[in-house]
Amino acid sequence: MSSNTIIAMKKPYLHIISTAIVAIGLTFIAFLYWSQPKTLAEVTTKGSVAIGTYSIEKAEFERGLTLFRSEDYIGSRVAFDRADPEKRDAATQFYVAYSYYRQGWGRVSNDDALFTEGLKAADRVIAIDANYRSTDAALTMRTASELKKELEEGLKLTVDDLNPFKLTRERK
Amino acid sequence: MSHGTEIIEVENDIIVVEPERQNALGVRYIILPLIFLTVTLLGGLRFGEKDSAFIFLVPPLLCLVFAAAVMVLFFRSGLLRLESWLTERKSTLENVSNGAILVTLFTATVQIFNSLMPEQGLPFWVIGFCFVWTLWNNLFSDFDVAKLLKSLAAMFALAFVAKYLVLANLVGPSEGNWLQRIIENPGKETFTWLLDLPRYAAATGYVQFFAAVLYLGGLYLTPPEIDE
Repeated sequence: MSSNTIIAMKKPYLHIISTAIVAIGLTFIAFLYWSQPKTLAEVTTKGSVAIGTYSIEKAEFERGLTLFRSEDYIGSRVAFDRADPEKRDAATQFYVAYSYYRQGWGRVSNDDALFTEGLKAADRVIAIDANYRSTDAALTMRTASELKKELEEGLKLTVDDLNPFKLTRERK
Repeated sequence: MSHGTEIIEVENDIIVVEPERQNALGVRYIILPLIFLTVTLLGGLRFGEKDSAFIFLVPPLLCLVFAAAVMVLFFRSGLLRLESWLTERKSTLENVSNGAILVTLFTATVQIFNSLMPEQGLPFWVIGFCFVWTLWNNLFSDFDVAKLLKSLAAMFALAFVAKYLVLANLVGPSEGNWLQRIIENPGKETFTWLLDLPRYAAATGYVQFFAAVLYLGGLYLTPPEIDE
C-alpha cells in the first residue's frame, strides 16, 4: 500500500451515517423547539419525559411530605417542585394541591389566590390520573375530585358564607 | 487517477482511496450536515435578560418563504446543481443522503433569517421588507456563485448590524419600575416601547454571530456538484 492512500469507509456506510446524523439532529432540534427547555438540566428532564423514563426524585418527595405534615406548606411545595419539575406525577401534584388548600383555608374566609393555585394543581392531578386515590390516612380528602370540589366551594361567594355556624367547621 | 494514486485494493467492506477524496466525502457527508444542524439549532436561540434562560423561537412563516427564495437562488446561480445532487444515476441511498444534506441547508437558511430578523414590531416589517426587496431583485438577476455569496454575506452582515448592534443598543435595561426606567433612560425606554423591542442577554448576539459565520462557512464548503 502506498504512503498516500488510506483505508476508507465504504461509501454506502457514509451515506447511512450522514442520513442518521440528519434524522437524529433534526428530531433533537424539533424536540428542543417544541419542549422549550430553559436550562441544560431541563433538556435532560424533558428528554426523559419524551422517551418515557421520567420519574420523580424520591428523596425530595419524602422531604416535601415531612414538611407538609409539619404544616410548612411553602417549604413542602418547594421540595415537591424539585421532586416533580415536570408536574407529571399525580401523587406529588395531589400534595401540592392539598398544601394550597390547607395554607389558604381560613375559618372566616379563604385565601383566593392560594385556592386558585390549588385548583390548578387539582386539575393537573385529574389530567394525569382521573382515578387517582391517595393512600395517606392522615388526609380527609383522598381524591382530586373531592379536593377540587372543596377548592371550588371555597372560591365561591354565596349567602351560605354568612352562616355563623360555618365558624365551627374544621379544616380537612 | 490524479496525483499518481489509484484504487489498489477492494476487499469486502474496505476500499482504499486517495486521502483528498476521502476528506471531501467526510466534509460532504459528516461535517456539512453537522454545520447546518448547528446553525438550525442556534438560529432561534435567545437568552433571557435576567436569568440567561434558553428561549427557543420558532421561525415565523416569512422566514420559510425567504429560505425557499434563497434555495432557488442557490440553484439558479449554480452554487448547487440539483441535477447532480439528486439524480436517478445515483443509488437511492445516495439520493436520500444528498437530499438530507439539502434539507439541513434549507432548515439552516430558515433559522438564519429567524436569527437576523427582529422578532416583532416595526423593525420586523422594515428588515423583512429589505429582505424581500433584495431577494426579489436577485431572483431576476444574472448571478455567479461568487457574486451570490458576496451578496448574501453583505445582506446578512447588514441585518446583523441592524439587529444586534443598532437595535440591541436602543433597548433599555429592565431593572426598576416603569417610571424609574423612563427617568433614568428616557431615550432607550421610548425606543423600546415604540419599536416593541424584546430584551435579551448580550450572549444572544455572540451566539448568533457564531451561527451566521458558521452558515457562511457551510455554504463555502458546499460542493456545487456531487461527482459520480
